[in-house]
Amino acid sequence: MKEQILSVGIDIGTTTSQLVFSQLTLENTASLISVPRIEIIAKEVVFRSAIHFTPLKSQQEIDENKIRQLIEQEYHSAGIRPEQVQTGAVIITGEAARKQNAETVLRALSGLAGEFVVATAGPTLEGIIAGKGAGACQESKHRGATVVNLDIGGGTTNIAVFRNGEVIDTACLDIGGRLIRFQNERGTISYIADKMRSLTRSMDLSVAENQTLSTGTIEAITMRMAGILEEVLGLVPVTPQLATMLTDHDLRRDYPIDYVSFSGGVADCIQGSSSGDYFRYGDIGIALGQAITRSKITQQFEILPSVETIRATVVGAGSHTTGISGSTISVSPGVLPMQNIPVLKLSPEDEALPLRLWGEAILRKVQWFNLQGEKQNLALAFKGPDSLGFSDVTELASEVIKGMQGILCKTCPLIVIIEKDLAKVMGQTLRSQLGFKKDVICIDTIKVENGDYIDIGRELVDGNVVPVIVKTLVFNS
Amino acid sequence: MEANIKQLIADVLREMGQTENPSLKTVPLSSTAEEPQADLTSENLRKQLLVPDPSNREAYLKFKGATASRIGIWRTGPRYLTKPSLRFRADHAIAQDAVFNDVPEEFVKEWGLLEVKTKCSDKDQFLTRPDLGRQLDDENAEALREYCSEQAKVQVYISDGLSSTAVEKNAKDTFLALAQGLEGYGIKVGKPFFLRYGRVPAMDVVSQILRPEVTVVLIGERPGLATAESMSCYMAYNASVGMPEANRTVISNIHRGGIPGVEAGAHIADVVKKMLDQKTSGLDLKK
Repeated sequence: MKEQILSVGIDIGTTTSQLVFSQLTLENTASLISVPRIEIIAKEVVFRSAIHFTPLKSQQEIDENKIRQLIEQEYHSAGIRPEQVQTGAVIITGEAARKQNAETVLRALSGLAGEFVVATAGPTLEGIIAGKGAGACQESKHRGATVVNLDIGGGTTNIAVFRNGEVIDTACLDIGGRLIRFQNERGTISYIADKMRSLTRSMDLSVAENQTLSTGTIEAITMRMAGILEEVLGLVPVTPQLATMLTDHDLRRDYPIDYVSFSGGVADCIQGSSSGDYFRYGDIGIALGQAITRSKITQQFEILPSVETIRATVVGAGSHTTGISGSTISVSPGVLPMQNIPVLKLSPEDEALPLRLWGEAILRKVQWFNLQGEKQNLALAFKGPDSLGFSDVTELASEVIKGMQGILCKTCPLIVIIEKDLAKVMGQTLRSQLGFKKDVICIDTIKVENGDYIDIGRELVDGNVVPVIVKTLVFNS
Repeated sequence: MEANIKQLIADVLREMGQTENPSLKTVPLSSTAEEPQADLTSENLRKQLLVPDPSNREAYLKFKGATASRIGIWRTGPRYLTKPSLRFRADHAIAQDAVFNDVPEEFVKEWGLLEVKTKCSDKDQFLTRPDLGRQLDDENAEALREYCSEQAKVQVYISDGLSSTAVEKNAKDTFLALAQGLEGYGIKVGKPFFLRYGRVPAMDVVSQILRPEVTVVLIGERPGLATAESMSCYMAYNASVGMPEANRTVISNIHRGGIPGVEAGAHIADVVKKMLDQKTSGLDLKK
């Protein structure tokens, strides 16, 4: 009883844009006499596009029409129509995400790419997706180790830290291969990013456009950039410049690191690459790669080879964003797919309350969400108590209904996400208590956190499971 | 006795040319000081890692979390440590209790179920004569006819099978969730009852007596060392004595460490619905 679904990954990066198609295979791995247990048993990249330069209208704007054409062209070469694609993610990464029209581009593309393809951006998710695409997540699980992946692209370095297969920390820095670009092979600057200006200022260098840099100066600058990475990894004392280069939050650095891996375009310039041809790409990418090769990072950590480098993010988006729910769930017919549902997760303190107080706790938190408009929904999430009897389930359901009144008076369905295997009976009980007049989506075996957004796709494998994409925008474990 | 042994050991040591080992005095040969603190089986084995200084405790515990097998229990020489060794026996004792104990009459009464029994007169006979555990005498058959309505859409009953514990722990929650689920589909459920000393194929006899469309039995599974609380649900469409075993649909592993009773009940409701829609069960039932 295998079922295959096609997933697309589209990455619009600072420098390059790419697309992959992956085939995900789902199978019921439980024995004949058990409740079904459907799992993703294989992920295979079946098509890789060429690596295109991201078309820009100006320094501030992405050319959405050109991007669209490019993606359409790649669909054509793969021989795949958008309606064949069941899941996937369009991700706009690095500096590109900060362009003025990033939102418009995402909207245009997610429409093109199939009905359940999510559009997303955000440095936290980016780092995690790249780390999964690079294989760092898998390696950390296999080795039972802590692996840090540095995805060094044109505009940013996204860091994700994995321990035993789980993300434990993330950070994003404005360190990238195209933050300084050259107009010729003498090293005359055509573009320098603002953050680089302030970094070079701190080195008592004044660097500006149309100025020509000597090889020595380029090396000094890229060594300083590598130095920032040494700082964020805790190899050298932190300087004030680290804070400047971070885009949001720092790494915690309160755990030992076993291995480091690199992905992103610059990863290909780390180690092995010959020196000399500095200006091949007209930027500081090669110099930065060489600086990292000479840095303490490669000297003090064991470096793991990545399964993907420049394609890590796009492969991550295509193969590693989609998860599936537990196999006993409860979904009213015809209400899926649903996208971008904000998650309200009860805190451990809330969950420790006796069941009869859950309604009030939920009600209080729902109010934080200031839900406006008939369509504005939210998903209630909790871990769920241990070993519930039927009377507990009944009580819990009535408390959920009490707490979710703000949603129940609207036309949108009631969405409940439980970590424990309880969704079928909970959904059934909720529907029964609501007099079968309300659509209910109740799914389980999914871990979400407050502040996540969730997309839930149409039912698969005879309605037993739904594909789920959890979009982590903030990471604070 | 203790003094004798001490003396004996001291003699042996002396003969071996050693001086008396002073530590012998301080080590009591039989200790009553270490009474067991709590129920041996109350500790969650999946979280108990006895390997001293594992290089990655977190990863090891993750493995343990994924299986009921006794991994990471360490050893002394080639043997088990005392703790796992005792736990093994304690779990075995629980399994034996589950088989040999009866489902208390009060359990059946409190639930308000009619109690009937197979041709077995007691537990010993039930365990030694599987054939009798599949038959009902006329008196019990008559009681069933009187109590339950015949030709119900769905007839559910509870039976002890090989684990009374499983029934006590799971049957009621499973039944209530199942009943709620079927009610949601507008499917009428016959009055449930309890069959003592019942084996799985007794459902064929019950089906011939009551003639429901679908027969469902919640029955205790033969216990193992992982759990003694596991219950199964056997279902069949138009069951009759002599029907092929392949006509039975089964969902096993219903317990708090497997699929929880309430969740199983909700799932069973969907399976029963499919049987009624497709008018079949067992291997012929399409998922």
